[in-house]
Amino acid sequence: MEKVDVIVVGGGLAGLSAAYGLAAEGLEVILIERGDYSGAKNVTGGRLYVSPIRNMYPELWEDAPFERPVTREFITLMGEGNSTTIEFAADKFAAQPYQSYTVLRATFDLWLSEQVMEKGGMVIVKQRVDDLIKEGDKVIGIRAGEDEIGADITIIAEGVLGLVANKAGLRELPSWKDHAVGFKETLELPKEVIDNRWHLAPDEGAAHLFMGGVTKGMLGGGFLYTNKESISLGIVLGMKDAKERVDKIDIYTLLDDFKANPTIAPLVADGELVEYSAHVISEAGLSGIPQLWGDGYLMTGDAAGLALNQLYTVRGMDFAVASGYYAAQAIIEGKKQNDLDAVGPAYEKMMKESWVLKDFETAKNILHFIENPRIFSHYPNAVGRLFDRVFTLNDQPTDSIYTKVMSSVKKDFMNVTTAKELLGMRKI
Amino acid sequence: MKIIVPVKTNPDLQMVRIKNRQPVLEAVPYILGDLDKNAVEAALQLQAEAGDTQVIALTLNQGNRKIKDTMKEALAMGADEAYIVTDDALVDTDQAGKALAIAKAIETIGGADVIIFGEGSHDGYSGQVGPRVAELLGVPEIGFARKLTPGGPGIQAERSMGDFIEVLEAPLPIVITVASEINEPRIPTLMNIMKAGKKPSTDWTLADLGLEAADVAPKNKILSNLAEEQDRKNIMLEGDVNAQVAALIDALTREGVLEA
Repeated sequence: MEKVDVIVVGGGLAGLSAAYGLAAEGLEVILIERGDYSGAKNVTGGRLYVSPIRNMYPELWEDAPFERPVTREFITLMGEGNSTTIEFAADKFAAQPYQSYTVLRATFDLWLSEQVMEKGGMVIVKQRVDDLIKEGDKVIGIRAGEDEIGADITIIAEGVLGLVANKAGLRELPSWKDHAVGFKETLELPKEVIDNRWHLAPDEGAAHLFMGGVTKGMLGGGFLYTNKESISLGIVLGMKDAKERVDKIDIYTLLDDFKANPTIAPLVADGELVEYSAHVISEAGLSGIPQLWGDGYLMTGDAAGLALNQLYTVRGMDFAVASGYYAAQAIIEGKKQNDLDAVGPAYEKMMKESWVLKDFETAKNILHFIENPRIFSHYPNAVGRLFDRVFTLNDQPTDSIYTKVMSSVKKDFMNVTTAKELLGMRKI
Repeated sequence: MKIIVPVKTNPDLQMVRIKNRQPVLEAVPYILGDLDKNAVEAALQLQAEAGDTQVIALTLNQGNRKIKDTMKEALAMGADEAYIVTDDALVDTDQAGKALAIAKAIETIGGADVIIFGEGSHDGYSGQVGPRVAELLGVPEIGFARKLTPGGPGIQAERSMGDFIEVLEAPLPIVITVASEINEPRIPTLMNIMKAGKKPSTDWTLADLGLEAADVAPKNKILSNLAEEQDRKNIMLEGDVNAQVAALIDALTREGVLEA
């Protein structure tokens, strides 16, 4: 059996990040990707936080094919017959170094795979890894069709479903109940139109989130990210909520309803649909992370359950890059010390001591918090009712602004349920 | 025996979008055309039957920035060696220019016993380059072969003539173009993809072939290349279901979609 230093299963951000770090140190690394090219099968809502990972591969981000830096944040609460939008802009978000960028994976991952090859890593596409080869409990390589290749360490970066790892008995198949489904359209719009609609200076970008009516009260939300000359518009929906809905909504109709909403329609008008994609997202948080390593292998990215719903954002790509980076660092050190047994524990230690697993620890109660349906139905409507009161003027004597606000606040916010929910918020 | 397979790498047509009736080629990856893969496969099968045969893949780079990677696919299928001719003058050349460059490249490689083309390219599909190369080299040509066997004075080829099958024998050297039904191109295995990176690949420019840009200057000019525009008929059928079905069948029959 032919043998190399490291085999990486899967050419998404986690796998590519690991392969890049390893190849840059001169290790013999082979990355195997099932799609026609890296990025062909990958989906993101649209935003990569670079701040957390900037120092990992500082030379990389300078020339990366980002779409736009996010300089403006919008949050829209969609109530019945109204919507409330908060627009936030900060000078620091509009200055270098930008903390996050919008990205399109087909471009971004393909570019990163080229960087891996430039460093001497071998990226093989259109090949499916069928099995991990084990000797006792130790993973010693992979099987693809008739071919077997051995490796000192196999990095599992196969994505959220974890089919290969599951087949080898390294992790359970994830339960659908702990997952959300994300689906989105990419709509082409001229650059200037995007700038105008989101109040952007040229080459700056916006992130726009929606909650409430967009999911008809189900756990989840809508998102809209501005790319160079297109927007990514989509919905993330908790599978459990979607399946257990009594009135059975066909989820594919949500996106059409979303686009037809009076608040959204003018934003997406004349956008030409150029791509449709969908993906599964882990919502299990900390409890969805399996054992990160075993004899002969490391788990990274979505395959290691590294996706996190932080309510105002769903993160995954920065975790993927970071886990790939730490996997590479652990292997490089293990090779240097000629102690491969130290690789797994070192990787786990780095993950635990860094922001990666700490952020999962911090966010562990969010999941419980957002299981409360009132967040997706009562509050978006309550905020809408409040402003409806404030802005309504008719032929009757008008109430004082204080009366208007307080009557709404008393009715919708000053009650025991909200007080309990506020207390619950302390944990998130 | 030495077999040269001139192949063309072209934009992946599945990835090409049409905008304002023009193809959007930006960021579209290049691939080896399906018919080119048939030609490589035919060469590999001849190699397996004849033994002691070298298979060389040859290509002209017409603007594929990653042509080395694309050509690796031919090497991963099993070709022994690759030659890539890159020159700005080749980007906008025509069939005559391409045929001249390929013929010169074949001579520079040292000639071949069998030269196999796909019946046409995956994108332009003029089907001219193979026969033109035969003419330039002064060797016979068999077009649209659907089966090849070493034997007789050199090679036997079958061609489908519609109602009957024509079997031809020809001496070597010869140019052959193959039809898509000749074989099912193999999908490279992981191991062969890994080995492909280590196989020899030679880069040439037109000067290496003793040619200048003027030699391959196009003799014809493409005036426009527009996607076909077709308006939908937008026929609304009225009446009850039975009447609508009858009207639909009637309309489809008149269009020739259904047989009367």
